[in-house]
Amino acid sequence: MASYYDIDDIIMEDELISTVFQIGANGVGMLDPGAERNCVEQGAKVELPFWLAHELHLRQAVAVTVPPCFNQKTRKEIQADAACVDLKSRCSYFYELGCKVAPLIGDRTIGSFLLYAFTGRYKEVLSKAHSAAFIMAPKFLTLLTKEETRLYEAARSSMTAFKKWRVGGPRFERASILRKRKPTD
Amino acid sequence: MYGRRASQLLKDLSTNEPGQLSSFDTDAFDQVIKECDAHHIELQGMMRKIQEEGLDIQTTRNADHYGAVIHHLALIRNKRCLMAYVYNRAEVIQSLRWKVGAVLPQEVQQKVNYSEEEYFKNHSAALESYMSEMEVDLTVDMVPPKDPYIKVRVLDDIGDVFLSDQSPNLARHSIHFLKRTDAELFISQGLMEELPS
Repeated sequence: MASYYDIDDIIMEDELISTVFQIGANGVGMLDPGAERNCVEQGAKVELPFWLAHELHLRQAVAVTVPPCFNQKTRKEIQADAACVDLKSRCSYFYELGCKVAPLIGDRTIGSFLLYAFTGRYKEVLSKAHSAAFIMAPKFLTLLTKEETRLYEAARSSMTAFKKWRVGGPRFERASILRKRKPTD
Repeated sequence: MYGRRASQLLKDLSTNEPGQLSSFDTDAFDQVIKECDAHHIELQGMMRKIQEEGLDIQTTRNADHYGAVIHHLALIRNKRCLMAYVYNRAEVIQSLRWKVGAVLPQEVQQKVNYSEEEYFKNHSAALESYMSEMEVDLTVDMVPPKDPYIKVRVLDDIGDVFLSDQSPNLARHSIHFLKRTDAELFISQGLMEELPS
């Protein structure tokens, strides 16, 4: 369970999930752009952010459909070459959302699919982080989800730290919050 | 969509580099609070309606109930976003005490709001009273020391200062051999740089 204050967890829960209302709800017309009155009718198809869809699902008010990033097409692409699939544009919190959605839709294959995708891409992320020239990186980085980007940064920064340690040099630094001072002379 | 503005607030926060601070977004913050009030009014209205229809509020599961639930959830969501916004900024502000000393630099001061400034002062005072009780300065030696003295170059005119073992004139571009613990705060404030010895 992520922390209450975890920014990533909060932003992740903003991902839209398409749901079907099993009951009607009054006074929330804003949720359904097609609604004529200020309410959502029974059977209306509405895109809800995960935080709302999840809670309403627990109360059996909505039925959740599988988000497009876990459909058969994506699975086929991942099977073909996991490292080349653009997961960021599909869902930048692919793994986190997958973990949270799986129990809702009761699809047991999602877990193993996530694991397969992650292990396939992890190797590529690490080897790119250590080997690719810095100019090459941006193109590759656009494919990664948030978590993978973090791994990539971690690998890079540990490599720089190692190099810095080997060379030696100043270990004290100006606090990063301060702006770089322009030379005044 | 409900909660959109609140999560935008956090998205803005997450685009900052770790440990950096941007200005407190008072406008968006107040708007989210207004949204919360609106949800609250809607919520109360629906609860009243259920009661007026003579239904039991505990067990009724009609359209009004679910409308109220949605407003309630949106309110809680907004609250979580606001709390996380304040909390994560407070973490950064707290860490500043350890990095730049007891006084907030000018450029940071513009970015924090009144209560954040108070928080910084109080945290600073708490730390100070603890350190004076324990008779140890906890904010030095953030990097494991190799040598008690280091060579530094002064980057800005600091003038005459009293340090623990000497009172050098720290003129710009002069090079000194100082006790690490004395030099550490000057370096993190960007007034000196460490030279390879």
